[in-house]
Order: sequence, then C-alpha cells, then structure tokens
Amino acid sequence: MHAWRTPETLESTRFPAPDGEHELSFSLLVPARHEEGVLEHTVNRLLESTHSEYEIIIIVGHDDPGTSRVAIRLANQSPERVIVITDKHEVKNKPKALNTALPHCRGDVVGVFDAEDQVHPELLAHVDHAFRATGADVVQGGVQLINFHSSWYSLRNCLEYFFWFRSRLHLHAEKGFIPLGGNTVFVRTEVLRDADGWDGECLAEDCDLGVRLSSKGSKVIVAYDSAMVTKEETPDTLGGLLKQRTRWNQGFLQVLRKGDWKQLPTFWQRMLARYTLVGPFLQAFSGLTIPIGIFIALFLDVPIGVALITFIPVLPTQATLAFEVVGLHDFGAQYGLRIKPIHYVKLVVGAPLYMLVLSVAALRAVWREWTGRSNWELTRHVGAHLPNVPEETAA
Amino acid sequence: MTILLERPSEQLAPAPVAPRPPRRVPTDVLVVGGLLLVVLLIQGWNITGYPAVSDDEGTYLAQAWAVQHGSLAHYTYWYDHPPGGWIQLAALSWLPAVVAPETLAVASARLVMLLVTAISVVLLYVLARRLAFARWSAALAVLVFGLSPLSVTLQRQIYLDSFAVAWALGAFVLALSPRKHLWHHVAAGACAAVAILSKETILIVLPAIVVAVWQGTDRTTRKFSLAGFLCGLALVGAVYPLYAVLKGELLPGDDHVSLLGAMLFQVHDRAGSGSIFTTGSGANALLDSWLFYDAVLLVGGAIAVTLALAVKRLRAPALAGFLLTLVAMRPGGYLPAMYVIQALPFFALSLAGLVEVAGRYLLADRRGTWVYGREGRRIVAIACAVAAIGFVVPRWYDGDRTALTTAANHHYASAAAWIDANIADPRKTRIVVDDALWLDVVEAGFEPRHGAVWFYKLDLDSAVRAEFPNGWRDMDYIVSSPIVRQNRTTLPTVDTLLDRSTVVKAFGTGEDRIEVRKVNEEGQ
Repeated sequence: MHAWRTPETLESTRFPAPDGEHELSFSLLVPARHEEGVLEHTVNRLLESTHSEYEIIIIVGHDDPGTSRVAIRLANQSPERVIVITDKHEVKNKPKALNTALPHCRGDVVGVFDAEDQVHPELLAHVDHAFRATGADVVQGGVQLINFHSSWYSLRNCLEYFFWFRSRLHLHAEKGFIPLGGNTVFVRTEVLRDADGWDGECLAEDCDLGVRLSSKGSKVIVAYDSAMVTKEETPDTLGGLLKQRTRWNQGFLQVLRKGDWKQLPTFWQRMLARYTLVGPFLQAFSGLTIPIGIFIALFLDVPIGVALITFIPVLPTQATLAFEVVGLHDFGAQYGLRIKPIHYVKLVVGAPLYMLVLSVAALRAVWREWTGRSNWELTRHVGAHLPNVPEETAA
Repeated sequence: MTILLERPSEQLAPAPVAPRPPRRVPTDVLVVGGLLLVVLLIQGWNITGYPAVSDDEGTYLAQAWAVQHGSLAHYTYWYDHPPGGWIQLAALSWLPAVVAPETLAVASARLVMLLVTAISVVLLYVLARRLAFARWSAALAVLVFGLSPLSVTLQRQIYLDSFAVAWALGAFVLALSPRKHLWHHVAAGACAAVAILSKETILIVLPAIVVAVWQGTDRTTRKFSLAGFLCGLALVGAVYPLYAVLKGELLPGDDHVSLLGAMLFQVHDRAGSGSIFTTGSGANALLDSWLFYDAVLLVGGAIAVTLALAVKRLRAPALAGFLLTLVAMRPGGYLPAMYVIQALPFFALSLAGLVEVAGRYLLADRRGTWVYGREGRRIVAIACAVAAIGFVVPRWYDGDRTALTTAANHHYASAAAWIDANIADPRKTRIVVDDALWLDVVEAGFEPRHGAVWFYKLDLDSAVRAEFPNGWRDMDYIVSSPIVRQNRTTLPTVDTLLDRSTVVKAFGTGEDRIEVRKVNEEGQ
C-alpha cells in the first residue's frame, strides 16, 4: 500500500513532466521467440515514438524462421531504426538473447521490451528526462496487464501487476533494494556492461539484475503513469500462468542462493531482500496454514486463546482483499475500463483459488530447484491485450 | 518528483553553523499542561467521597478483578457489554492499590478514571486544534468538557463510557491527521473498534468518524484510506463476535448465553425507560438528574451540535453529538444512566467552536455595514462573553463545590471496615452484598461466588441458584444498601432475606442507611 500512504507519496510516483529535450540515445532490445503473431504490431508501435534518438534491436533465434521472417521484413521497412540479431545459443532463453545483443548496442541507454508489449509513443521522452533530472543509473517504467476480462485468474493477475508496479516497486526503490521488472526497464549502457549484462543461467534475470545493481549502490528510480505504462497480456491458460509463476519463483530462489544481496549495506535492506525473495514461499505457506488454522479452531477442542490465535493469519488476508477491491476500482478509473459488479465478485471468490495456484507454483518451484531442473518454460502470447490484432498476423 | 535513492550531494553539504536557539516548549504543550492541571485538580479532589458509589461501578470493577483472575466476569459472562472496558480497567487497576490501598475498593479505583480523563482532555485539545480551533477556543472546549459539574460527577465514576470516549476521540484525532497518512486512518479504524468494544453504544458516533476520515483525506488517496479505516475497524472489531463463535455462544440456545441473545435483549426486550419528554418516565427522571448537575452543557450542547452541523469544519464532531442526542430522544428504548458521558466532548467542542465562529464574526477586521461599526461589534462581543461567564460560573461553582466537599461514601466505607473487623471466619461465611461492596468483602476474605454473593445473582443466575439448594437458608449475612432495597420487589430470595434477618450494625439513618444484617434460620 506504499504509494497510497499520503497524497504526497502518490504524487511522487509519477514521471516528472518532460522538458522536450532529447539528449540521450536509446537501444531498445526486443527478444522474440515464436512471436510472429505480435512482433510486428509491437515494433510498429515502438516506431511511433516521439523521441529522436533510438534504435530497435530485434533478437531472434536461429531455429525460429517464422519470427525471423517478420523481423527481417521490419528491418527492411525501417533500415535506419531496426536491426535484427540472431541468437545462436544451443539452449535458448531471454537473458542469453539479451546478452547476445548487448555488444551491438550503440545508445547511451539500453531498454528492454517484450515482443508483445504495447509501448506508449511518449515513453522514451519521459525516460530521457527522468534519467537527466535524477542522475539515475536505472529507470523502471510501469508495466500493466490489461485483459482483466479474459478469465477469473487474469483479473487477479492484472491486479497483482497493478499493485506491484503502482506501489510496491516504489517502496523497493526508496529502500534501495529492487528486483527489476522484465521489460520497460532502462539501464545506462556502461552500467550494464560493467555488470556483465544479464545472468544467462538465471530464470529471473530481471530480478537478478536489479539485485546486483542495487547491491552495488546503483541509483534506481521507478516511475508510474497510467498513460505511459507498457501494456501486456496475462498467460492465456491457467497452466501457462502456473509455469510462468513457477519460473519466477524458481528464479527468486536462484537469486536468493546467489547471495549478491548480502552486499547490501544496511541490515534492513538485507532483511527486505530476504523477505522479498522468499515472499512467494511465505505466501504459499500462509495459503496452506489458513484453512488448517480455521479447521483447528472450529472442529478441534482447543482453548479459546489458542483458537483466537489460529485466526491471526486470516487478518492480513482479509485486509488485502479489501484493498484489492479498492485497487480494482482504482485500476478501472486509471485505465478508463468499466469494472462491473461481476468482476468484484470474481475478485473475491477467486482469491482462495488464486492463492492455491500460487501455492502450487511455489511448491513446484521448490521441487524443480531441488531436483535441479532449471530449463526455461516459455509463456505463449496470443495478443489478447491488443485492441484489434489483424487476423492474419494473429494466425 | 520521483523517489530518489540518495539525495543530491549538495543537499548534504553542511549548513553554515549558527548558534542554536535554546529549545522551547511548544505553546500548545504549555496550554495543555495548564488545562490538565486545572481539570485533574477539580476532578480528583474528593474523588472517593463524591458521588455515591453505584452498583454499576462495582460491577465493572468486579469484572476487571475477574479478568485479572482469568475470566471475563465474576459470574457467568452473558455478553451484557463487550468486555473491552473492564479489560482496560483491569490493566490499570494496580494504580489505586498503590496510591490508596486502605479506602473502599470502588472509591479508590476511581483514580483510574483520572488517567482516562487526562487522556481525553489531551485528545480533545489536539482534536480541536486539528479542527482549526484557535488556542483560546480549544482551551475553552477543554474547560467546558472538564469542569462542568455534570462532567465532574460522571467522569469521576467508573463507567465504561469514559473509556469509549477516550478511544473515540483518538479515532477522530487520527482521522484528521494533517499528514493524511494511510496508516493513521487504519489506526483510526482500530481506535473506533476499541471504543465500541469498550462500550457498544458509542457505535452511534461511527458515521461521524467516517465523516472525519472523509474530510481528513485527499481526493487521490481517499478510497484507500477509507478501505484502511474499515479494515482497522473490522479486524479489531471482529475479535468480539469471533470469541462468541469459538465458544459456541453466537446464536441463542436453550442452555447457554449468547451474543445475539444479549443484543436482542438490549435493543428489543429490555424494558424501555420511556420518552425523555414524558413526565414521570424513567428517561425523563434521568434527564432531570443530568439537568440537576448542569443544564448549561446539556441544553447548550444539544443546541450547539445542531447549529454546528452548518459549519464545515465542525461537522464531524457536531454530527457525533447530534446523533447521540437524536438517539436519546427516540420515544421508546432504554436510556442508560451514564449515556450522556459520550456526548459531553462533542457538546463541548461544538459549543466552543460556535463561540469561536461568533467571536471571529464580531471581531473580524472588515468594513462594517453594521450600524455601530467595528467598535460596536467589539463591545457586543465583550458583553456577550461577560454575560456568559456571569451566567455559567456561579452555577458551576456551586456544582463543583458540592463535588469537592461532599462525603457521600463514608457509610459504605464504614460498613466495609466493620465487616472486615467483626465477622469472624469469613472463609466459611456467606454474605450477600451489592456490587459496590463485593470486592471489599472478597478482599476481607470471603470466597468469591461461594462466600461473597452478589445479591442479583441469587435470583437471576441459574448456576448460582443451583449452588445454594436451600435458597435464603444457605446465607449467613446480608448487607442492606439503598441499591438492594430498591430492587427487593423483583428479587424474591433477597426479599425473604431482608425479612428473615436482623440488623447487627447500621451506618447512617433514613434512605441512605447501610445495615449489616444477620440471617435467622428460624425466621424472626
């Protein structure tokens, strides 16, 4: 609830108004793997940017001719802006693709977008100004899942993003420990090269980069503006969500084990790091304890004091739910979306189910990390967040 | 603005060193300190002597004693009130034992109420300041609240309402926090919940607290603050019904007490005290007793809360007082004797606020279209102030002098001392007393419940009846006090005990006398 603590805090989470100067140049990395359906739309939208100095580097795999074809066509259409790099790694993943492109970046700042992202044309101008106004090394912009109407879990998934980018990340930036997001993240090129780019073996390379940069004392700022966020879509199946969440959780575990966060200067920063990185597992744990606690209190003969204590985990869950209802209302207001009563019902009824999914993902992540399986389970995108995806590109 | 990890280095550059001025105590602290001194002196002086101890005070204190011994009441807890108030009383009741261990238990326990009043005074002042009162009018509100003979009399007594008032004032203060911080609003909700758990009737002012939260929040963060307030309220408030659920005592049943049953009794079945406007009704008699202590704050306050609804910054406290007044004026229902305590701070705030509004209007530096111009308005203001002081001060002087000098409890104290000194072998003796004496006879060595018996329970509590199969014949003594005699007609066992006993020692004469009576097995 960080961002809404006081009116001043809320105001401070926005991008400062840009001054119209374009002084930095950008290299925008767009890794694309089996994304021929959405890539063209994304790149065309990036090309609408109002900024004057930027290049778009599309990274495709050597074993993915469909996406390569779209990418090369885009490069031919705008040769002065778009470059295609082919990633030849035998086992492919996003951090390896990004590292392949890093030596080719000519801009002062490297930005990362996913192939399905809907990027606002004025974003680069805002980021440019944010870098210069604050002297930051890293600027994290907002990302928002938008297709809340698709299913019960996408509603909750959208809201999760809303709270994370609208509020939670700002707290992290303020406290000096931040797991960065996977896209709409901008890093000064020399800072990124000094850090040796991304960790090609980590399943949460974005989180890892954020942890390594904040541990070195890099200055990270987060700016959120509902008009300026990058719009994305939720995984199109529940299984997809489960895989994605398992990957993130396992990635968090890997970052925890790597231990870069131990270099954070203050005790409280290290505590925040610990809390954040084990967060998904705490959530899974509380998801399991709540029903057990209620069962004990209602059906077993325990002293009244003990029974009252078993209800304690329910309190934060109920409070969270109340704030989620308000958050959903605010989400609708911010994005001009019509939230119907049925959506509030879905939100409340879906809470325990979603908790269950998250718990399963957390347990699955622990299991996979334990048994040493760390391959990359990719999330598929169908373009549900795009207003009208032309049939032929979606096919 | 964006969040910065570190501030720009030039801000960290050392400022030119200037000699620091000596730290001064803020004026508001001095003002509150002075007000506290005055209010506590007048409320504290002779606090054990006046007013006469009531059965309710004894009950709450006995329940606090039970909390210290591991249960919620000294008899079966039947959800008559939420236990928050006497749990707090239990947490504070070491205080009188340290300060005045020798006096009557109920009377000396009143020292706790001084602490509660002190907290309320500070919170009332802070609240007034947060409602943009000037220092003089904030101080006026505190003086009206603390020095009215009605306040002096009722706030001295061990009533749960005073606890509820302190927490409700805390909720208002937090709701109007100048930083508009989300956590302050959550805390306001929690305070409101504790207030309700201290005395359920304070629930009436809840809409006014919501208004305060609304006024105290910014448009951009309001819905989150309101949600935070409700969370604080619901999560703390839920403890009480949850306790009942877990004990299987939420819904009424044949063989157990229940929260819902008690609530239905309070709002539905309990014999109403009539309308305060009907001469001869219980509520009307109660109103007369309040008016006897002070009509100024009671009538003035009731009018003030209605008028103050029109002033935006006074609206929240005015609404609180207005709702309380409205509920008191409803035709049927039961009006508790200490109900008015809850309205006093809001009456005082609205009165002082209106005086300030009127004063500012009269003294404002503007071109007068008024006949007498600025000087004339100033004279009117001074004349009004002098008239008001001339009207109020003599009345309050009389009322407060009574409170400071009357010894209304010495019969009780003497009876307690006599029992302690003259009844041999209290561990094996059974004595029936009212709650004002219950804790004293327990301290004298009578066994709680089995030896020291609260007179009501002999007839009304089935568990107690079962414990004494021979009824009145199982008792050895009964202490006849005004409270016991007033209730004898509805309590057959007590009635019989009074008939079949003889006075062994009497204190005082007439209506207020207290008699220690020995029960005669064979009748008189």
